[in-house]
Amino acid sequence: MKIIAVTEQRQGKWNNTSFEILAAAQQIAAAASGTLSAAVVGKNLDALVAELAAKNVSEVLQVEHDLLEDYTPDGFCIALKQVIESAKPDLVLFPHTYQVRDFAPKLAAMLGKGMIGDSVGYRHEGGRLIFVRQMFQGKTAADVSFAGAGPWFASFQSGAFRADQLLASDGGAKPVHKVTVELKPEQIRTKPLELFKEAKSAVDLTQAALIVSIGRGIKAPENIAQAEAVAKALGAEIAASRPICDEGWLPMERQIGSSGQTVAPKLYLALGISGAIQHVVGMKGARTIVAINKDQNAPIFEIADYGIVGDIFEIMPALTEELQKAK
Amino acid sequence: MAVPREQLEADVLIVGAGPAGLSCALHLAQLIKDHNQSGAKPELSAENIYVLEKGREIGAHQLSGAIMNPKALAELVPGFEKSAPLDTPVTDSAALFFTQNSSYRFPITPPPFQNKGNYLVSLSKIVKWLGGLVESAGVNVFKEFGGAELVYENGAVAGVITEDKGLDKNGRPKSNYTPGYELRAKVTVLAEGPRGSLTKKLVSGKKLDNINPQSYGIGLKELWEIEPGRVEPGYVAHTLGWPVEMDMYGGGWIYGLQNNRLSIGLVIALEYTDPQFDPHQAFQKWKTHPHVRQILDGGKLVRYGAKSLPYGGWYARPRNGADGALIIGDSGSFLDSQRLKGIHLAIKSGMLAAETILQALKTGDTTSKTLGGFEKRVEASYIRDELWKVRNFHQSFQHGMWQGFVHTAFQQITGGRGLIDPMRVEAGYKHYKKRAASGPAKDEGDRFKGDGKLTFDRLTDVYHSGTRHNDDQPCHLHILDPGVCATKCVEEYGNPCQYFCPAAVYEMAKESGGTLKLKINFPNCVHCKTCDIADPYQVIDWVVPEGGGGPNYEGM
Repeated sequence: MKIIAVTEQRQGKWNNTSFEILAAAQQIAAAASGTLSAAVVGKNLDALVAELAAKNVSEVLQVEHDLLEDYTPDGFCIALKQVIESAKPDLVLFPHTYQVRDFAPKLAAMLGKGMIGDSVGYRHEGGRLIFVRQMFQGKTAADVSFAGAGPWFASFQSGAFRADQLLASDGGAKPVHKVTVELKPEQIRTKPLELFKEAKSAVDLTQAALIVSIGRGIKAPENIAQAEAVAKALGAEIAASRPICDEGWLPMERQIGSSGQTVAPKLYLALGISGAIQHVVGMKGARTIVAINKDQNAPIFEIADYGIVGDIFEIMPALTEELQKAK
Repeated sequence: MAVPREQLEADVLIVGAGPAGLSCALHLAQLIKDHNQSGAKPELSAENIYVLEKGREIGAHQLSGAIMNPKALAELVPGFEKSAPLDTPVTDSAALFFTQNSSYRFPITPPPFQNKGNYLVSLSKIVKWLGGLVESAGVNVFKEFGGAELVYENGAVAGVITEDKGLDKNGRPKSNYTPGYELRAKVTVLAEGPRGSLTKKLVSGKKLDNINPQSYGIGLKELWEIEPGRVEPGYVAHTLGWPVEMDMYGGGWIYGLQNNRLSIGLVIALEYTDPQFDPHQAFQKWKTHPHVRQILDGGKLVRYGAKSLPYGGWYARPRNGADGALIIGDSGSFLDSQRLKGIHLAIKSGMLAAETILQALKTGDTTSKTLGGFEKRVEASYIRDELWKVRNFHQSFQHGMWQGFVHTAFQQITGGRGLIDPMRVEAGYKHYKKRAASGPAKDEGDRFKGDGKLTFDRLTDVYHSGTRHNDDQPCHLHILDPGVCATKCVEEYGNPCQYFCPAAVYEMAKESGGTLKLKINFPNCVHCKTCDIADPYQVIDWVVPEGGGGPNYEGM
């Protein structure tokens, strides 16, 4: 059996799941007395290739091209298709990464083959290679195998195999073969932009010392600005009870209560919040609770340290003004 | 858009891990073991039985009083007394009649209220225990998976598609999106409890309705921890009268459990005439009756829940005539409407289904020809004896207590036949009187608030149901005609959804312009199905939310 394990790197840095599937590929190859080629795709790969050549593999396939510097599904598929067509492996293994999810099924389809994605194990049974996939959120497992001729495509889940079981080369660096691939710019339909990291969630209410929180009493989204003015004058974060986030007036990450965040700030100013138990469990740990509500029977007053029975629309602007003066 | 779905094949797929579904699974696993040991062919395996359960755990969505008649469990699990989590045997059964300030105990407890030999149990605990037996018998129980769609092949039921996971509130896939599985099975068993969402589709699609539509009630329950010595464990009382008006059908229960726990509740038939009647409020009012108050005083609410129950009995049983499918338990109307007992009938119906399914797997014929054997087995069993005697019972009460008592007297002496047999009913929601007749609309500000000690508003009670849903998922309460709510329904019925829902899910919110708009607080839902049943226009369709959502009825 001839196996190609396609590793993953980005800007010269490994995706560590690569070593897990290399270990898996070594074990499959050993049991089937097969060969193992470790492939890496990109540009300026010499250092990475040397690292792979120090492992117990039959060869390293260095798939380099200027157009492979940045990942594109078209570029990787066209390049790997050529690699596979010339090497004629029986099995192509991938780590089940986001990138692999993006291009590997397309690559398999280009060659008219199926793919078994996200496997957690394998075994040899009656001369057949059987892959194990989790179903029902891991509550059961299904055995899957390929029908028809190779090359077969499969990916293994991160953590399914241990990278520390990857065997080093027993006799010096293994041979490296540079694979030349034909690739033209017009074949690549996507234009990669600069890499970016998703901005971290802007707010961590659990760390906020002061919180101004609004409830149904705010009535309409255009009134939120008044509460935000109070928060700004106080240097507090704005938060809300569920109905407000339900309506989409504030993002869900600002929701306090049993289905949102649990907070314990120094000061919790509750504006127009009735104090249903679902909300209270999320904020009762606040050191000082100040509640403003026009209903004097609102349960929020039972846990408030200070309460004002009154109209928030009168109190909010007045409060903002006083807070600004006090600065 | 056709979604590519993973497929899995099973011999038998059971939707719902309640007493009926689990009994079916356990009994079938036992029968398969015997079958294989006898050397008969084809060889079968309990591993090819799958059970779907939408709750987080087995038992999480089980709610009942509960008094259990043990006879079916004794057949299913001989010697169950040694291992089942029974709370206590019933020691004293009382029937009480309430007026606003007094209570009268019937000098002789009428037979339907007698419970000698029965056990007080937490249905949630019993079902959890049963689930353990089912899993150790090799059956796969998939928790947190609900049945969303039926799969048909050549007109026969061929399995179920589970619900899609990881959709956001607008139905767009999130990063954890997983399309539902297509589970194919030779036989699909619907054991979804009252008003099952797949059962509803199958019954209407295959026209399996019996001569009567199903009648339903809603049961509201609170579990309390009370001061020691107030109620003996094993004491059972059923109450009639206040605050349930005599033109309605309903009553309360008080069950003394071990460790100073008390199960209390109120059951109301969902066929009352006032569209703004509020069952939750009636339950809270019932607790203020001096007799109940003196028991609860100084105690603490532990848990709350609500669930519908099928009253329709024998003449409302959906016909089990579909190819590839069987309907059991509450979904199949296996409940004695006079004694309001269904656990033993659910178990028995599951066992009879198992026997039928074994036959089907042995012969390879899973059409209604072989599955029709279920009907014959039911006919020949004590299910039929029990349900036949009370076949006209609930229908007698559709217009209230007085007529009911008269009819029941005749039924008692004629073996259930009574004055009219079969007595017909119409669906409960047709009983609502339109607004002009039922009086002016209630003001939202007057909603019952409770004192926070003995009585509670709905949100506080909902909190004690432990219900939880991921907020960022599509609403599982589909309004088939949203135009009705803020227009016709306001005028005609005053939006009963705001009142019948025991979990404050439905709310007619005033927009800034003063117009009304239906707001659905679906994360509060306790899966009782009352809305699907009691909506006057029948435009509310309850579908399964993402698996794992719903109440946590541990100990209920």
